[in-house]
Amino acid sequence: MLKLVFRFAPVVAGVALTLAVAHAAPPANVVLDPNQELVRHYGAEAASLDPAMDETVQETYIDTDLYEGLTRPDNKGQIVPGVAQSWERTAPTTWVFHLRHNAKWSNGAPVTAGDFVYAWQREVDPKTASVYTILISFVAHAEDILAGTLPPSKLGVRAIDPYTLEVQTKTPVPFFASMTANPVLAPEYRPVIDKFGVEWTKPEHLIGNGAFTLQYWSPNDKLVVVKNPLYWDAANVALNKVVWVPMDNNDTATKQFESGQLDMTYELPPGSYAQLKARYGAEVHIAPESANYYFALNVKDPVLKDVRVREALSMVIDRDTLVKRILGNGELPSADLMPINVEGANPTKRDWESWPMEKRIAVGRQLLAEAGYSAQKPLAVKYSYNTADINKLVGLYVLSEWRNKLGVQGTMENQEWKVFTQTRHDGTYQIARDGWSADYNDATTYLDLVRCGSDANDMRYCNPKVNALISQGSNELDDAKRTALLTQADQLAMSEYPGVPLYQRVTARLVRSYVGGYTDLDPMDRVPSQDLYIIKH
Amino acid sequence: MFAYTIRRLLFAIPTILAVVTICYVMVHLTPGGPFDHERKLPPAVLANLQAKYHLDESPLQQYFFYLGRLLHGDLGASFKYADWTVNELVAKALPVSLAVGGLSVPISMLIGIAMGTVAAVRRNSAVDYLVSALGNVGNAIPSFVLGPVLILVFALLLQNGHGVGWLPAGGWGGWRFRVLPITLLTIVNVATISRVMRGSLLEVLSSSFVRTARAKGLPERTVILRHAMRPALMPVLSLFTSIALSSITAAIVTETVFSLPGLGQLIINGAINRDYTLVLGLVVLVTAIAVLFNLIVDLLYAVVDPRIRY
Repeated sequence: MLKLVFRFAPVVAGVALTLAVAHAAPPANVVLDPNQELVRHYGAEAASLDPAMDETVQETYIDTDLYEGLTRPDNKGQIVPGVAQSWERTAPTTWVFHLRHNAKWSNGAPVTAGDFVYAWQREVDPKTASVYTILISFVAHAEDILAGTLPPSKLGVRAIDPYTLEVQTKTPVPFFASMTANPVLAPEYRPVIDKFGVEWTKPEHLIGNGAFTLQYWSPNDKLVVVKNPLYWDAANVALNKVVWVPMDNNDTATKQFESGQLDMTYELPPGSYAQLKARYGAEVHIAPESANYYFALNVKDPVLKDVRVREALSMVIDRDTLVKRILGNGELPSADLMPINVEGANPTKRDWESWPMEKRIAVGRQLLAEAGYSAQKPLAVKYSYNTADINKLVGLYVLSEWRNKLGVQGTMENQEWKVFTQTRHDGTYQIARDGWSADYNDATTYLDLVRCGSDANDMRYCNPKVNALISQGSNELDDAKRTALLTQADQLAMSEYPGVPLYQRVTARLVRSYVGGYTDLDPMDRVPSQDLYIIKH
Repeated sequence: MFAYTIRRLLFAIPTILAVVTICYVMVHLTPGGPFDHERKLPPAVLANLQAKYHLDESPLQQYFFYLGRLLHGDLGASFKYADWTVNELVAKALPVSLAVGGLSVPISMLIGIAMGTVAAVRRNSAVDYLVSALGNVGNAIPSFVLGPVLILVFALLLQNGHGVGWLPAGGWGGWRFRVLPITLLTIVNVATISRVMRGSLLEVLSSSFVRTARAKGLPERTVILRHAMRPALMPVLSLFTSIALSSITAAIVTETVFSLPGLGQLIINGAINRDYTLVLGLVVLVTAIAVLFNLIVDLLYAVVDPRIRY
C-alpha cells in the first residue's frame, strides 16, 4: 500500500503540473503594453552567473531567468515542469525525470540529460570550489565527493538516455523535484565552459537554456537579459527585456522607484511601510516569506545553559508590539523557528503564548528566581549583532522588555558582518542576532538550526532525541507521518529554548500597478521574470 | 625637469611596494575572512575554496605569489565576484569615477578659485560674506545629507507629468545621470577651495611686493592677476592631490548615495567582503594615482613659482 503511495503520487502530481503551466501566459483579457521591458532592482550585485557558484538570493533571481532546471517555480510559487516534462519516484531514493525533446540551449543545441549530469558533477568537484552545496548534498555520494574521497563520476546521477535522467538521493527526499527548480541544479553547456573557462559567463559567451539570454553585464551598474527566442515555451513569455539593477541601499532604490526609474524594488527600507503605503497604496506588496528572525542563545554559556533562564527570556517578550509598533512592515509575530508557510511540519505554539502578559511576567520572574537570580543578583546578558539599523532597533526593544519585566541587565555589542559571522560560528557570544531563510521549502531546512553537528547550528544546542526524530522523519515515506515526526522534533527542540524566535519575515517591495503576473504567493520569493508582463498604461 | 620626473617615477616603485606590503599584512590581520558566511561552510568546501585561492599556503608564499602576479600587471581574481578579475572590475569602475570625479575636480578648481578671489578682493563686502557663508555651508553639511536633498529636489519634487524626475535619483547612464553626483562633489570641493583661495590671496595682497606694485601705479586688476594670483595659488595646488583622490578614487558617499558603479563602491564591497585581491588591487591603483598627482602638482609648482627649478 505504501509502495503504491510513493510510486503513483508523484506521477499524478506531474500530470497536474503540466496542466498548470498552461496558465503561465498573460490572461487573454489583459491588453499588453507594446514596450515589454521591465526594470527590476535586485539588492547587492550577484557574485557570479555560474549556477555552480550560486549562493545568494540575487544570483538565484538572475539565474532563474538564464537557466531552467528540471522543474521551475511559477509566479505563485508552484513547481511546474521545466526541462523535465514529467518525473516519477521509482523507489524511496530514486527519481526518474523525462526531459522534453524541444528544450534547447540558446545556441540551438538540444538540452539533454548529459548536461545535467555534467553540471551536477562539476558542482561537487572540489576543483570547482562551489560555496553553496546544500542542495546537491541530497544527491547520493555528493558529500564524499566534495570531501575528495570519491571522484565526481560517482555522484548519484546518470543519463539513462539523452532524455531520461535518473537521480539517486542519499535519503528519501519527497521534495527533491521541487528542489531542482533552483538554478544551482540547472544544466550547464559544457563546450562553452571548456572553451572559455571562468570567462564563460560573460555576455559574449554565456549559453543558457532559460527564458532569457544575457545581453549586458557591468558589475554594480546593470545586467540586461533579453527574451530567448529558442526557449521551448517562448510563446508564453511576454517580456522582451529585463534590466536588473543592483543596489545595496534600499533607500536609494526606493528613491529611484519614486523618480520613475524602477518598476520593482527588492525590499523596502526598514520603517518605511506606512509612509509608502499611504503614497503608493496597492503598489506596496507585503507577503510572508519562508524566513525567520530570532535571537540565538548560546546554550553552552554558563548563564544560558539553564533552560529556565532561556524560557523566561522568551516568554516575556511582547512580539505583537514588536512587529506592529517597532517594525511595522507586516511581519508576523512568532515564538517558533518554523514559519507558518513551510511544508513538512507545523509551527508549534507554546502554552504561554495564550496567557495574559501579567501571568507570563510572573512565571518568568519565578523561573529566574528558581535559577538563582533576584533584584540583588540580577541576570546580566550581552546581545551581539551585526551592524544594521533593524538589528539595533530589535535589540533595544527586546533588552528593554527584559529589563522592564524581568530586571535583566542587558548590554549590546555591534560587530561588522564578517567579524560577527565568525563570532557566531565560534560560539564566542552569549545572545546573537540570527535569522534563517529557507534553502528549500521543507521543514528540514529549519531543523538544521537545532540538529546536533549541523553547520547551521550556531546555538550549540544538541539533543539526540531531536536528531533521532529528524532522522526518522527524513526517512519516512508517508507524508502525514513525516510531518508529524518533524513537527515533534521542532516541538521537542523548542521546548528547550535554544533560541528566542521573534517574528517571521516578509517580502516587502514596491511593484508598479502595470506589472502583471506578480503575486504575493511564493514563500520562497523567486518571482521568475518569464511570468511577468507589462500591462498597457 | 625630465630627469626629475624619471627619478620621481622610479621612487614610486618602492612606495607602492611598501604600501602593498603594509596593506597585505593589515587585510590578513583583519578579523573575519572572505569565506565567513551566514552558514558555516562544511570543512571540505572551505578547504576547496582555500586551495582555489591559494589561501592554504603560508602567508609568505601568498605574498610572493601576489607580488609575482602584480609584476605582470595581474591584480588577481576577485574572491567575491567569482566571474571577474580585479583588472576587469577596475576597468569597468575607473571610467565611471573619472567621468564624475574627473570632471568635478577642474570645475571645482575653477569655481573655487574664482569665488575665493572675488571674496578676497571684495573683503568684508556682501559678496565676501556670501562666499564665506556658502563655503561654511558646503563644509558643514555632509555629503550624505546634501546628496539626498539634491535627489529630493531634482528627482522627486520636480517631475514631469508621467511621474519621472527631472534628473535620475541615481544609477549610471548618459549625461543626466552625471549631473547630480558632479554637482554634489563640486559643492563640497568648492567650499574647501574657495576658503583656502580667499585666505591665501588675502595674505599675498598684504605682502610688500604687492604694495610695491600698487605704489608703482599699476591698475588693481593687473596687480591681482599678474602679481598676486600666482603665489596665492600655491596652497590651492597643494590641495589638488587630496581633492582629486577623494573625488575620483574615494567618492564613497557620493557613489553610495547615487548608486554609481565606480571605484568607491568597489572599495566598500572589497572591505566588507574581505575580498583581499580587490582591496589590494585598489590600494595599488590609488597609490599609483596619488604618486602621479603629487608629481603633477610638484611640476606645476615650478610653473606657478619661478623660484622653483628642478
